Amino acid sequence: MSPSSRSCPHPLPTAGLGLPYVQTRIFKIIVIGDSNVGKTCLTFRFCGGTFPDKTEATIGVDFREKTVEIEGERIKVQVWDTAGQERFRKSMVEHYYRNVHAVVFVYDVTKMTSFTNLKTWIEECNGHAVPPLVPRVLVGNKCDLKDLIQVPSSMALKFADAHNMLLFETSAKDPKESQNVDAIFMCLACRLKAQRSLLCRDLEGRPGQPRRLEPTHDANGKNSCPC
Amino acid sequence: MLPISLPLCGLLTDFDSKKKRKVAEIYQALNSDPIDVAALRRMAISEGGLLTDEIRCKVWPKLLSVNTDDLPPLPGKELREDNKDYQQVLLDVRRSLRRFPPGMPDDQREGLQEELIDIILHVLKRNPQLHYYQGYHDIVVTFLLVVGDRLATALVEKLSTHHLRDFMDPTMDNTKHILNYLMPIIDQVNPEVHDFMQSAEVGTIFALSWLITWFGHVLSDFRHVVRLYDFFLACHPLMPIYFAAVIVLYREQEVLDCECDMASVHHLLSQIPQDLPYETLISRAGDLFVQFPPSELAREAAQQQAERTAASTFKDFELASVQQRPDTVLRQRFRERLRGEERTKSILTKPRTNRFVKLAVMGLTVALGAAALAVVKSALEWAPKFELQIFP
Repeated sequence: MSPSSRSCPHPLPTAGLGLPYVQTRIFKIIVIGDSNVGKTCLTFRFCGGTFPDKTEATIGVDFREKTVEIEGERIKVQVWDTAGQERFRKSMVEHYYRNVHAVVFVYDVTKMTSFTNLKTWIEECNGHAVPPLVPRVLVGNKCDLKDLIQVPSSMALKFADAHNMLLFETSAKDPKESQNVDAIFMCLACRLKAQRSLLCRDLEGRPGQPRRLEPTHDANGKNSCPC
Repeated sequence: MLPISLPLCGLLTDFDSKKKRKVAEIYQALNSDPIDVAALRRMAISEGGLLTDEIRCKVWPKLLSVNTDDLPPLPGKELREDNKDYQQVLLDVRRSLRRFPPGMPDDQREGLQEELIDIILHVLKRNPQLHYYQGYHDIVVTFLLVVGDRLATALVEKLSTHHLRDFMDPTMDNTKHILNYLMPIIDQVNPEVHDFMQSAEVGTIFALSWLITWFGHVLSDFRHVVRLYDFFLACHPLMPIYFAAVIVLYREQEVLDCECDMASVHHLLSQIPQDLPYETLISRAGDLFVQFPPSELAREAAQQQAERTAASTFKDFELASVQQRPDTVLRQRFRERLRGEERTKSILTKPRTNRFVKLAVMGLTVALGAAALAVVKSALEWAPKFELQIFP
């Protein structure tokens, strides 16, 4: 991914000042989307590595984290997994939008309404004063259910393009796709890391092009940047 | 094989005899005319709660003033058509595998899940003012597993229009309001923990699922869940938030040792330990409620604002029973946070005289209507004289 187009929405006090980092940097990512699209499974897959066979409805907000290493730097990725039911968004989830570094929108490729509802989720996100320059990615989950797909990739790509998001199509369930789940979060972490080290000098940059990651089954090292 | 040592043997006998005695007392209360609901409340609160599901089937309806001779008919299948919450209920129930006993055959579990969906939709249909929330199914499943679908429908309906009413508003504003009560309770007992949590800006969402599912969503051992339900059914609708505070306070050292930031503290607190000493915590929650009932907190706030005369504890419960919405009590009473020198630090060491009587009396007002209020008033008259007949 080209770092040249990124801005820095939340510069850390010491970022880029030539001072050495001693603390692990923290990237805070919020995961939103309709009920039952697989938000919890995705975050489990990334943070825990396995697909949990019994996930339940998330009530309120759950928290998971994983420390990753990117180009020699240890970065703590904090993932806030939210409830999908509308009533929780309004008054409960607000607190967790504060100071997020990235937003992950999730829809279910086998359920068109979860895709059409993305509009509402974007409004929701904007309503919580998430700066427009905070990176957002779009994730179409449950790709393993090939016979049931309702949302064509082309449609999703167009939407992602229009909203300046990266698109990933993946399956939290299929172990062969787990690389791709990692890629979502690693990509964001790379992007955020790039932003930080650029010290926001490129605020006027061109928005990034949406791209679709085809499932990759070759085992890349986890430390490499997937973008 | 080693013989059971004498002291252990003695303990077992002691435990058994206590249990037997309690069972006898419960049946005595059930068989008296009129039924001694106050005694049943005390039994539900005191050590061990209602002991068995067989007893729960008999006592839970009494605690909720549900007439078991006049149960509404079970609904037909048309329930599932044009119900706005159907899809959400379906999604949540189908995913709620963990709530069923491990080892239960799939077809039996699936049958219960269908019953669960029907109960929820039935209550929602009969009460269009109620709105389904994710987590409601965690409460309903507990009733289904203990008392079966027919009785569960009646109990859950009563519970939903009373204890759970605020959670079932169109928005969660009132739920949030009740959650806001958590920190002041913590502040009363341990200001250091309170201040630490405030600095971390942890918020109260870690306790949301505790509150709106009565801990059914977070405890994996069903025995603990039903024990808590005994307690909550016998008490004031705000008791779950006191219990939440007690859990946080029980973990005070862990909290203070935690990194002081939102994520760390949220993470720590939302992972509820499964080996909590439930009986001890129930006693503590009861103590806290008696010592800091909503009116107790509000009284000082009211004095500061000079807008209310001293309110009795009982007033709160009268209010709660008239309006049946815990949030209303908070709204009216809890105007300003209590701060500084008025804090009482020795709450947990104060004598526990008549605690269960007080709690039981307080819980009584949750029962309904003028008749219930009359019972409460007479209960208040005899309460001070009553000798506790609970486990030592």
